Amino acid sequence: MTTWLLRRLVWGALTVLGVLGFLFVLFFATAQPEDVARRAIGEKAPPEAIAQWIANHGYDRPRIWNPENPFDTMLLEHYRRMLTFDFGRSDADDVPISQRLGDGVGPSLALTVPLFLLGLPLALAASLLVAFFRETYIDRMGVVLAVVAMSISILIYILAGQYLIGVLLRWFPISGFASDPSVIARFLALPLLVGLLNGIGSDVRLYRTVFVEETNRDYVRTAFAKGAGDGRVMARHVLPNAMIPILTHEVVRIPFLFTGALLLESFFGIPGLGSITVDAIHANDFATLRVMVYLGALLFVAGQILTDLAYTLADPRVRLG
Amino acid sequence: MSRQQAFALALGLGLAAFGCSNNPYPDADDTLRVFYTAYSEPPKTLDPQVAYSTVDHDVLSNIYETLLEYHYLKRPYQLIPGLVVDVPEAEPQPDGTVAYRFQLRRGVLFAEDPSFSLGGEGVVQRELLASDVAFGILRIADPAVNSPVLVPLSKIAGLAAFGERLQKLRDEEPGFSSLRIDEQYRRAGPATGVRATNPDRLEIVTQVPYPQILYWFAMPFTSPVPWEAVAWYDGEGGRPGFSEIAVGTGPFRLTRYDKRSRIVLDRNPDWWGARHPEWGAPSATYPTEGMPEDVARGTLDPALAGRALPFLDRIEMRLEKETIPAFAKFTQGYYDRSTIPKESFDQAVRNGALSPEMEARGMRLERAVRPGVFYLGFNMEDPVVGAAAGDRGRLLRQAMSLAVDVQEFLRIFLNDRGIPAQSPIPPGIFGYDEEYRNPFRTPDLARARALLAEAGYAGGIDPETRRPLRITFDTGDTSVQSRLRYLYFIDAWKRLGLDVELAATNYNQFRDKVRRGAYQLFMWGWVADYPDPENFLFLLWSELAQSNGGGPNTANFADPRYDALFHDMKDRGNDDRRLEQIAEMRALLEHERPWIELFHPEDYALVHGWLQGFAPMGLPVPTWKYHAVDAEARAERRTAWNRPVRWPLAAGVVLAVALLVPGIVTWRRERRA
Repeated sequence: MTTWLLRRLVWGALTVLGVLGFLFVLFFATAQPEDVARRAIGEKAPPEAIAQWIANHGYDRPRIWNPENPFDTMLLEHYRRMLTFDFGRSDADDVPISQRLGDGVGPSLALTVPLFLLGLPLALAASLLVAFFRETYIDRMGVVLAVVAMSISILIYILAGQYLIGVLLRWFPISGFASDPSVIARFLALPLLVGLLNGIGSDVRLYRTVFVEETNRDYVRTAFAKGAGDGRVMARHVLPNAMIPILTHEVVRIPFLFTGALLLESFFGIPGLGSITVDAIHANDFATLRVMVYLGALLFVAGQILTDLAYTLADPRVRLG
Repeated sequence: MSRQQAFALALGLGLAAFGCSNNPYPDADDTLRVFYTAYSEPPKTLDPQVAYSTVDHDVLSNIYETLLEYHYLKRPYQLIPGLVVDVPEAEPQPDGTVAYRFQLRRGVLFAEDPSFSLGGEGVVQRELLASDVAFGILRIADPAVNSPVLVPLSKIAGLAAFGERLQKLRDEEPGFSSLRIDEQYRRAGPATGVRATNPDRLEIVTQVPYPQILYWFAMPFTSPVPWEAVAWYDGEGGRPGFSEIAVGTGPFRLTRYDKRSRIVLDRNPDWWGARHPEWGAPSATYPTEGMPEDVARGTLDPALAGRALPFLDRIEMRLEKETIPAFAKFTQGYYDRSTIPKESFDQAVRNGALSPEMEARGMRLERAVRPGVFYLGFNMEDPVVGAAAGDRGRLLRQAMSLAVDVQEFLRIFLNDRGIPAQSPIPPGIFGYDEEYRNPFRTPDLARARALLAEAGYAGGIDPETRRPLRITFDTGDTSVQSRLRYLYFIDAWKRLGLDVELAATNYNQFRDKVRRGAYQLFMWGWVADYPDPENFLFLLWSELAQSNGGGPNTANFADPRYDALFHDMKDRGNDDRRLEQIAEMRALLEHERPWIELFHPEDYALVHGWLQGFAPMGLPVPTWKYHAVDAEARAERRTAWNRPVRWPLAAGVVLAVALLVPGIVTWRRERRA
């Protein structure tokens, strides 16, 4: 187990280093420090101000190779900052990035945690229902609705949700956010509803297949033969045995709760980490973008390791090593 | 209770818990005098010496004040005293420099702030001094501040030298950078052209005549800043950086700055204008004079005219990155004014006027031409379309100019939001001539073909290749929408037989091409910093050519006569001679055609009937102190417009039950069988 964990950590570290390297190369293949500076201090800024900004932000040093001092390059500085978690300040507005992360993680979690906590049981309940009524019209209708739900772009859900719920029915605000507990639910209701609708289709499709496969197994027949009720068989026998694929699907999502939901946050005006990422891309804000990518890579690796560990908990037959 | 009933109840309770309301604000705020507005991207900085975007200025120019301001209603734009008693006159000096003496108002206070404790224990506030204005101006030269306006303001004697001395000390003297900022500036020595001669007197000296300097004193860059705030807000120890706070003397103060969602400005109870209405200061009193249209618009309403400002208690700004939700909230009454997204344009505007539906809701449409210009530019250093091609290149440019029908372009792509440009100078700026018609800006394909033939490109054919002349149109926008716009121009030139190829890259690559001079034709725009023709005609001054250090003259236009005229014109006051010079420069541009002038953009704003004192300004200057709201009328309308429709919820529950129950019943029957 320890060897396995060490091996996974080493591979994970190499993956993260590779991602950081790729990000650096790709970013500076398409953007010059002048562009970053111009976006930060304005299109009208004269060349002198641009040059000063570049010097102030350390983008004037050689990018990859410095014959005079091999340790004084942008690439090494990039790695140093990320590996020591010295995130520095945003290129766009000079705000400390760690402060921005701290400000953004709350709103992100306010959306993603309820989305996860409501979405999982809802998807499990719906898929258990259609699996239970398999080969009836409830099953067929459920599958058709799931396929339709997963085929529609999230943008359509967002725009339709905003128009239908926010404009026509006037149940909730169209967009916005307030951390005040008295009104936060009002703002989160619509993005939650949209997020649930967007995610439930593919989840139900997947879990239904898993449940149907399980319900055809001998132990289920045995349970029914012993006189167990429908609910008990589905909840106590089928559900635990279907946990491995469900865990694979769900545990890997948990770390990404922290990085927020890119489109939902952006369209609903939720100031979370997802919208920080989108803003950094739009603003050529390399300093922020690399932190978000770095954290995303770290969380991805963590999610993979967590998933593997979860297998051992869900299925005693699985041994890591 | 059945499971279906329980589900319906849970949903109902859920909706009830959420209040089932689309009101994004606390209900208690409904009757307050709050101005609600949206912004589309977070401010980059609130440092007045650095901020250069409209949203930055929207926030900080209501908190920081300037020595001068613009008259709210009079056009052309007219400077009025802000923090000073009078607009100063230029005083030419024997040595060729020009002095401006500003007399500051006494008794002006900065808003309360903990940073003032640096000046003494328990101090939370102090009076504005001339040295605060000087400090703000010196910050422009501080390399660590990196102000984007140092170059034009380097005409102030000794300002650039101050920055150089400061940097030298920081580089050479260990520990200098950790000194308090006021001490650093003191050690670097004064700038000779920035002198606080008394607590209420400031003398500014320009090295050369530069009448536009006064406009800079109406921009936030020259706002007074307390040194205490700069020293205190250093981004350390949990304190925000100076770019994230604002400590000014203005009518509002910053009370909440979650810039990624919400910004709140509250009325500053210590504002000098509110404490001293008896002064009748022009910048603290609603104007009693304006333009004829102000009478019809209601912006000279006797209920407002002559009253002490401001009328609002609070300004609520909410981030709305997407235009459609922002506009929908405006129509629900949750924003007091809005721009019109193109998707909703037909809903709001019919035949250039407000649609009957919007009018029935008591809204108003406000239109204002922005002091800006959009144009197609030729790279004058290009061997085919530029000056090197001599008469042939000029005739080609003239022909291409004659092919572009901008009126049609505006109709198709911008819902007619703009007026065709005849020269770089827009309406409202000295030198704009309403009667002037550029002979190369009225579409005339026959004449264009004749000019092309005269250039040696008969039918658009390049005699060297015997194929249509190939020209590259470089853009930094790859979106489909922009592509359609560029194709409109390309189609126009195709009618002359020219083969114009669109080279659309991302913006960074486009900038790189511009840097390398690898472009022939481009589209660009410019919006004025200040309302002076110099701020437009400098875009074609050879000293600011793109090829000469990356200046804003992207066309790389260089004409000795134009340069000489510009050189003289830029330093003159608005007299007849200046008008003649501008006319001559305009004629040169008309003939040489480094630009194909397209349009001056026109802003359309929708305003609710309960918002009073709203006049479009064009320039990014503070206007919110002139706004007033009828909060009762707004609350009434909001309630009427936003009653939730609940029946679809019950219908949804009934539908779900109706779909599921037969299946369950059948399944149970089959199981029993």
